[in-house]
Amino acid sequence: MSEVKEDQRQAAAASKGEARCPGAPSTQEIIAADKVAAPGWVRSESYRFLGDEDISKDRYIDAAYAQREIDTLWKKTWQFACREEHIPEVGDYHVYDLGPYSFIITRVAQDDIRAYYNACLHRGTKLRASGTEGNAEEFKCSFHGWTWNLDGSHKETLCSWDFPHVDFKKLTLPQAKVERLGGFVFINMDPQAPTLADYFGKEAKAHIDAWKLENRYVYLHVAKHLPCNWKLAIDAFLEAYHVIETHPQVAPSNGDANTQYDVYGEHVNRFISPLGVVSPHLYGKVSEQDVLNQFTLGDSSALGDTKFTLKDGGTARSVMAEMFRGMFEQATNTDLSKVSDSELLDCFSYTVFPNVFLFPGISLPMVYRFRPDPQDHRRCLYEVLFLRPVPKDGTRPMPAEPIHLEDHQSFKEAEGMDPGFGAILDQDTDNLILQQQGLEASAKSGLTLGNYQEIRVRHFENAVSKYVA
Amino acid sequence: MTESSSFQRVLPVADLPAGAKKPLSIDGRPLLLCNANGKLHAIANVCSHNEKPLERGRVGNGWIACPTHGARFDLVTGKAMCLPATQPIAVYDVRVVDDWIEVAVPV
Repeated sequence: MSEVKEDQRQAAAASKGEARCPGAPSTQEIIAADKVAAPGWVRSESYRFLGDEDISKDRYIDAAYAQREIDTLWKKTWQFACREEHIPEVGDYHVYDLGPYSFIITRVAQDDIRAYYNACLHRGTKLRASGTEGNAEEFKCSFHGWTWNLDGSHKETLCSWDFPHVDFKKLTLPQAKVERLGGFVFINMDPQAPTLADYFGKEAKAHIDAWKLENRYVYLHVAKHLPCNWKLAIDAFLEAYHVIETHPQVAPSNGDANTQYDVYGEHVNRFISPLGVVSPHLYGKVSEQDVLNQFTLGDSSALGDTKFTLKDGGTARSVMAEMFRGMFEQATNTDLSKVSDSELLDCFSYTVFPNVFLFPGISLPMVYRFRPDPQDHRRCLYEVLFLRPVPKDGTRPMPAEPIHLEDHQSFKEAEGMDPGFGAILDQDTDNLILQQQGLEASAKSGLTLGNYQEIRVRHFENAVSKYVA
Repeated sequence: MTESSSFQRVLPVADLPAGAKKPLSIDGRPLLLCNANGKLHAIANVCSHNEKPLERGRVGNGWIACPTHGARFDLVTGKAMCLPATQPIAVYDVRVVDDWIEVAVPV
């Protein structure tokens, strides 16, 4: 290669990922114009160009790749197992499954939560069924009655005279590592795993600390199996690039093409997708009143039947911020006086590798969790949890029970789900079976990604590659 | 054959505050009263899995979990929600009359 051509190539590489939506304000410029200023974690950017090679499609369609993920990735990463409010009292437990793995997450003492491998040490029977909760003074196997104390030490074996070869003092229930953050209980099967703080990295953890998600509770919990590989489902929620085609009803009130994307270390990334502003794809085609009318909420039940009207000269975004603050305060019995317009309005989507999305905003106060189907690499379990602030009087409601939707059901059918938001989730997930099938049918060997708008997909898949390798 | 039932006065409402459980025996039948999430429930105080009492079980949003092996039951229908139970437990109609809890038990 000539020296001139190499210089040109390096110059082109240096500029990769620097392009932004032409003619549109940046997310930061939109937020800077807001009346109530946003905190530092909102007012920052952290984009890095991570390459532009295609992502090999094997990882989505190859059962052997899924098995390698089970053997490597899932055994070495921190996973959200439950919220602390799922196990509020000593002895409370919550069973968390991931693929073939199963854990009893239990509160051994007021400030001591443990994750026991969910299997009897006699002949392997699960000590508690999957997908359940309860309270235990001891864990007794339903097969032969071998029993363990809450602290994991062996308590009792029927006919112990027949087991002279077993050292019962050493027969404690094996544990995974447990750490807590923002009311979430995380577990990791790897004894050598980094701390959760190191796993998040300093900057990303500072963001999560600032949200104080420990002061929220699960208001609604909906679960549904999706007909695709778990990573395809995650990829679908990592960008706003799809909004104009997949969710045309949302675009009038979503800055999709000028959404901001950030990556932090290896395990956390985010976008800030401004709401209450028109999509750059629709400039000149919709009015500010249209923007107001189309604003989408994840938890609109908090607002009742209120309709909004634009005053002369006002912007939809400013009107929405002003009205939201008062109405969400009233509906959720909380103080939002110091919360910025951006936190009230915008969609903040953070991914914690490998399978959790956190949305700390007020209008879309959600958590997503994706888990592979242990029997079929072309299926996964998707859960959406809505978190509301704990009421000012401190009374923490019981977390909502999961609503399990059948494959054919719409998210709109889940009791408590905002119909408009349910329709958006249907649109998102209806694409996925076509994508799974299309990848299997395709003559092309990989997925091609945009340098900026799809950087979270690349960041996520890079982490997958690292762990599976 | 259809069993008939009649309401029996069993406990003053004031003796079953929010979140409380109370085991009772009516005509030799072990029952458990629960005041959970603002609703009164009367269920059999016997797990359908291996006949252990449910009275020390955790009550959640519409369910009770057997403390022995973890079987969960729907407080309204009695349906078993998870293994190791597969069979339902009995549930009974409850009403409040003159500040007393009354339970409809088969006669």
